Amino acid sequence: MTLIMIMLAVIGGATLSMQAAINGQLGSKVGVFRSAFLTFSTGALITGLLIFYFEPPQAVTLLDVPKWQLLGAMCGVPYIVIMVLAVQRIGTAVATVAVIFGQLLMSMLIDNFGWLGNETIHFSASRIAAVICLAIALYFIHSSNKTSA
Amino acid sequence: MQFLMIFFVVLGGAGLSVEAGLLGPLGAEVGELWATFSIFGVGAALTFILMLFFSPRNSPSFFAQPSWTLTGGVLGPIYVVILTIATPAVGIAMTMIGILAGQVAKSLLIDHYGLFGTAHRRIDTKRIVALLFIVAALVLMAQS
Repeated sequence: MTLIMIMLAVIGGATLSMQAAINGQLGSKVGVFRSAFLTFSTGALITGLLIFYFEPPQAVTLLDVPKWQLLGAMCGVPYIVIMVLAVQRIGTAVATVAVIFGQLLMSMLIDNFGWLGNETIHFSASRIAAVICLAIALYFIHSSNKTSA
Repeated sequence: MQFLMIFFVVLGGAGLSVEAGLLGPLGAEVGELWATFSIFGVGAALTFILMLFFSPRNSPSFFAQPSWTLTGGVLGPIYVVILTIATPAVGIAMTMIGILAGQVAKSLLIDHYGLFGTAHRRIDTKRIVALLFIVAALVLMAQS
């Protein structure tokens, strides 16, 4: 089960980098906000269609949950804006590493304290070892971006 | 100024994890597709406003672009649905590291073959080493 979920996450990452490559092409022609808008509106249309035909009825709707649970996009969209502003000033290499650093730090915190209604997964020796492996990986991503940029 | 910018980028990355953290529990309550829809619906509204005010004025139309460059929005929902399904099962950190592994692996392939019109770039050993360490991190995470 865990293995399937990890595979899924890896596939998700692969689609994400395909999306980044495609959107990069589009963004260079029509502008970043336009390409982001296209991504979100196409995504909304597709999930709308999927809901219409495939989603089983749910007891709770989006309008019933506490409002803070709907803030997901408010955390995702600033990322796009920040990246547009930052890449010009600090370069892709530093920006990539900084994003991943922020992502990991926050995800460890959320897991450890069970924030936002998630299950608690405490720090352990192997988790800390995993973080060290990632720090090394980040160093290599950084130096690879630097030589190629 | 540089330092401040880096700080903002770290915050942006933290935002991505918060987004994943919000999505998992939300998907469990209202269904994965509705949770995904909330992201894209709100995202479309926000980026429309940004586009309206901050986009360059006479940029070329979407319909003047080759249609494959418009497929980014088809891939997005796949990613968000996966986030919604995976985070409750394996936790946010593990999901994020899995995503990272997929990203690095795929970006190696994209660069190597020059897919999607990006510049053709040979496979680079540094990124392969990075990928190996990310996989090691995944294994360590799975053990805990």
